[in-house]
Amino acid sequence: MNREIVPGINWIYEAGPDRTAKFELAERQPDWYEPGREAYIPQCAYLVEGDDETLLFDTLSPASTDQILETVDDLVGDRGLDYLVVSHPDVPHAGNTHAILEEYPDATLVAPAYGNDHELYHLDDARKVADGDSIDLGGRVVEFHEATFLDAPVSIWMTERETETLFPVDWMGFPHLDEEALLFVDELDGEFDVSRLVEFHGRVLFWYQYVDVAKTTAEIDTLVETFDPEIIAPAHGLVIRENAPEYMELMKDVTRAIDEQGRIGTLG
Amino acid sequence: MTVSVTPSVEWVSQCYNHGETHEHVSLYLVRDGDDVILVDSGSFYHREAITSAVDDATDGCGPDAIILSHSDYPHAGNVSPLGGDTEDVELVASSGSPEQQGLPDARKCKIGGRLDVTGRTFSFIDPPLADRSHTTWIFDHGDGVLFTADGFGNYHEPGQCRNRSSEFDGMISTEQIYEYHRDNLVWLRYVAPEKVERTLDRIFAEFDVNAIAPVHGNPIDGDDIDVYRDRLYDAMRRIADEYEVD
Ligand SMILES: [Zn+2]
Ligand SMILES: [Zn+2]
Repeated sequence: MNREIVPGINWIYEAGPDRTAKFELAERQPDWYEPGREAYIPQCAYLVEGDDETLLFDTLSPASTDQILETVDDLVGDRGLDYLVVSHPDVPHAGNTHAILEEYPDATLVAPAYGNDHELYHLDDARKVADGDSIDLGGRVVEFHEATFLDAPVSIWMTERETETLFPVDWMGFPHLDEEALLFVDELDGEFDVSRLVEFHGRVLFWYQYVDVAKTTAEIDTLVETFDPEIIAPAHGLVIRENAPEYMELMKDVTRAIDEQGRIGTLG
Repeated sequence: MTVSVTPSVEWVSQCYNHGETHEHVSLYLVRDGDDVILVDSGSFYHREAITSAVDDATDGCGPDAIILSHSDYPHAGNVSPLGGDTEDVELVASSGSPEQQGLPDARKCKIGGRLDVTGRTFSFIDPPLADRSHTTWIFDHGDGVLFTADGFGNYHEPGQCRNRSSEFDGMISTEQIYEYHRDNLVWLRYVAPEKVERTLDRIFAEFDVNAIAPVHGNPIDGDDIDVYRDRLYDAMRRIADEYEVD
């Protein structure tokens, strides 16, 4: 499944398992949940196509090898794939790296410069990118940034300069209901409830329960100022294309909420 | 080949060389009567050394079960070479979405629960110190060993590769603990250390820990745990203090 966000940027989507039972949503009834519905935390990859070259950001999980290969093939056709960027070597994000490089042997593997054990992830021969590095695809320019809210040390965030899109990987993920797959946030019924973001960060970013709230809030201010994005394309949520900085501001409420109530639970 | 941690837990020590310092990428072997359980499987990078060490330790029979702390490549890199994809070896992992973690055939353990593996009881603990979302710490009720995956690690010098904590001159140093956590648990820069400490207090109050068995560090003997925890706390405070938001 995939959807064009703007010309040249495609959203590639994997639903993963229904989380209703594991998250005890029927019993807990968080504000964002509607009884009787299924709930998903998606896994997303993004394809950026410039006039000259193409770039894939993340690979979907090993459960979707055929899907990612078919979708990328559909989208790039004869142009092929020029760059494969791995945001961090976590299985659900990077698990199809080998399969994709086999299909596109001329593609350049791009990996975060951060961390010190690339060899243990078969990333030692990759082109390493750090804060401020960029790749000009022709009309679309991606820029790389040190990942702020992360789990793995080998991590990178990305922006696309022309469309002002921020790809914050594991940050700003959130669940959605069955029929909301591949909807933009502005297409959802009703108000976007902050409890969606709390549900995700209270489970997946396990260390959010320990943060220094003032410091994290100040960091979010810095991120809003630095990026001020038009579009936010998270790895585990729906794409935000209206009032994007306001959703970053919401992350301050998320920080406070998790500080007060603690960890919601695990992902599993 | 292996290093004894407690009467029935052995350490399969493997090092990755960062130049000046080394970092362990190890696994552990638990003997339960005739059965052998591996905790984690190490990196593909050390595949030959690991499969031959496990072969030696099991007289060529291989393990009966493998328990994974998480799917991260340096921990789950030898599941197949060690037989984890066969009928004979029980594979246990904590993920709620094993297909997406690339472990479709694993038996699931519930974090916060306990499970008997080949008749030995293990508890699965939500870890305060980790480098991936889907990680579990594993407590062996037999010998009281806490397997902490990416937490409680340290870098070490060449020559300290097979030391237990008590064999260091003055125990594992604060600097070695600090550098490991600074480089690998980067998110500690946003953390209030006392909050992590509270969770650790709760875990050590609930479980009677005789030894700590990290994947990326030297095993910590029971008598050294308090000193290690003091040094870890100093390290966490230093990591948080050194990172200023501008
Ligand atoms: Zn690790
Ligand atoms: Zn060593």
